[in-house]
Amino acid sequence: MFAPASFPWLFLHELRVLWRGSILLRTRRYVLIPVLIVGFLFQAIALILASQIIRHPLPLSEMVLIANLNLFFFFVLMLSRAMTAAIDTLYSRGDADFLLASPIRPGRVLAVRMIGVAASVSAPWMLLGGALANALAIFRQFWALAIYPMLLAEGLAAASVAFALVVVLVGWVGPRIARRAGHTLALVMGVFIFALGQAPRYLPAQQLARFWKSLLPSEQGLGVTSLFGRGMLGQPWPLAASLSCAVLLFLAVWLVLGERFASGAISAAAYRPAGDAQAQGGAFRATPFPAVFMKNLRLLARFPGVVSQTVYRSLTLVPVVMILAGRIHNGTVQAVVPLLVFLTGQLALFFISVMVGSDESPELAASAPVAAGFLRRGALYAAGYSTLMLMAPPLLGVLLRAGALLPVLAAGMACVLVSNLALGFKMPIPLIKAEFGKAGNGTLMGLVLGVGVSSAWSLAAWLLVAPHPFAWLFVK
Amino acid sequence: MHAEQTSAALVVRGLGKSFGRKVVEGLDLTIHPGEFYALLGPNGAGKTTTLRMIAGLMRPDAGSIHVFGRDVLADPLGAKSIMAWLPDEPLLYDRLSPMEYLEFVAGLWRVEPKLAKDRAETLLETLGLWPHRHERCEGFSRGMKQKTVLAGALIHEPKFLLLDEPFTGLDAASARLVKQMLQTRAEAGAAVILTTHILDVAERLATRIGILSGGALLAEGDLAALQLHAGVSAGSLEDVFLHLTAA
Repeated sequence: MFAPASFPWLFLHELRVLWRGSILLRTRRYVLIPVLIVGFLFQAIALILASQIIRHPLPLSEMVLIANLNLFFFFVLMLSRAMTAAIDTLYSRGDADFLLASPIRPGRVLAVRMIGVAASVSAPWMLLGGALANALAIFRQFWALAIYPMLLAEGLAAASVAFALVVVLVGWVGPRIARRAGHTLALVMGVFIFALGQAPRYLPAQQLARFWKSLLPSEQGLGVTSLFGRGMLGQPWPLAASLSCAVLLFLAVWLVLGERFASGAISAAAYRPAGDAQAQGGAFRATPFPAVFMKNLRLLARFPGVVSQTVYRSLTLVPVVMILAGRIHNGTVQAVVPLLVFLTGQLALFFISVMVGSDESPELAASAPVAAGFLRRGALYAAGYSTLMLMAPPLLGVLLRAGALLPVLAAGMACVLVSNLALGFKMPIPLIKAEFGKAGNGTLMGLVLGVGVSSAWSLAAWLLVAPHPFAWLFVK
Repeated sequence: MHAEQTSAALVVRGLGKSFGRKVVEGLDLTIHPGEFYALLGPNGAGKTTTLRMIAGLMRPDAGSIHVFGRDVLADPLGAKSIMAWLPDEPLLYDRLSPMEYLEFVAGLWRVEPKLAKDRAETLLETLGLWPHRHERCEGFSRGMKQKTVLAGALIHEPKFLLLDEPFTGLDAASARLVKQMLQTRAEAGAAVILTTHILDVAERLATRIGILSGGALLAEGDLAALQLHAGVSAGSLEDVFLHLTAA
């Protein structure tokens, strides 16, 4: 269709590789049924929301504020993902080396990669935001469709900033720490957004109102500061200006980085001499179990996203702590039981998936004189141990503040721990990007079932401590 | 049990394996303690499949395998306890350091901790990895990774070493060092079987050479025996190999 080695030809190759690596292709078809149902439900909710938006129109300044806030959230989340993708692109020495060894111009490779990253980071938000935009368009509010080009432009801007940041960071601290910085950024963004979402719970109403008012653009101030928000609302000139800004940013970064990428200066930064390594290892064990156990704990501790992913999952602890501390006035203390059971299940599933997914050399252990079941136990115990270590403080909190709940909580945690460890061992959730030439492991099915099992056990535990947990729904 | 099975390092009889097509067929092989055996063959001859079956990683469709008298099929753990297997791709954990990797391997083979630590230090020093012992393997070159897995293969002092392309990625000095280490192990009574496409290495290192083609052993013996078998009065191993496998 396109001339070999041309820009669109390379871009199509990139899209094909992204699609082939997609989790959707590695997932059994019937697992997609609940995903589709959720999608339809989501669209239905979007239709209801859209009808409400039309029925209760907001002043332009408030609409611009909402659009600006959404664009900000999308941008920071896109940026954190784009940083990780940029590190993989520039320093993972996979097919980037392969492409650079070909007669294709390196600048073209970089441009295609940057656009590929932009498309991959903006796609999930286009699906999410697109539901509401589609619904509004059904009600003849076609301005809402501007979300598509705006999100694509945001993705392009995020990818450009991410590539520039990554090159600076890698040159400064090396690829490993730069990757960690990307994950930390993602974590900080995630926690910030979560904290903002929880603001009504911890900020007094008056203070909250003042906060929103301070962000609200005045009617006279609908100028440059609200350019992107107005673009998102479909105003033609702001939309064109926003898209131009993103393209200019992309071109600027591409022009600056392109030459350094072609000369190998960027990839050379990854080969800085290693700094002083910390003393580690050397505690030899006489039996295989501690060796296997320690190996698994080390692989878990050194998994690139372990801190950010664990903290994300542990955000459930925020309402738990608030309930136990008596900060949520309309929350009952029994609610901590399902929250903690759910968290236990999610952590266990994540940890065992990392251990199974991180085992780059299963045949090494298979060639050793130990039974296969033994190795399985080593991974399961290490994942269980890690989960329990993290769950010990909240358990202690429940013991001190609501000791009567402890038996049910402990039983629920034990059940969900065993279930999700076994499930994760058989069906690890997708965590690790497949390397060039290798198949990735992890299934969406594991993720869906894991969340389902965690939810089922937490509901069971909740029903045991609060026989009518949804009674509050019917209170006027 | 036959006397041969107990005295020989490896006795393979009637080994067969197929993946739709026959990969190994009716293979007989005997290797004695102290012997350095090179298993050669063109691509797809069945070398790696044979080694994987001997290592207990793949169950054969037919035949028997005994390593120092231990039946690999009936007592795989017993056989594995005296074997080391080195595949063509290094089996390494990128996020572990060489010292941690050796700690893990030594634990799997139940090497006494003090002894394992001493051996690990000696191996890392000998292989030039000592300055990198606490660095993670992810940044290592192919050669450094290969040396790390070689150290792992030697830390439990196996009586039988199965090495699939062990010299891949090694520089000349490292390759010589590894050859010396393997010869020392063989002189101490261990048996070594290796596959390689570098025929010079096989010619200089091996006490006996087997040439595999289409899953069956075409010829076996030292260079003189192979020359005789091929009907080539003189010539290098390369000449003999090409003559035999082209036939």
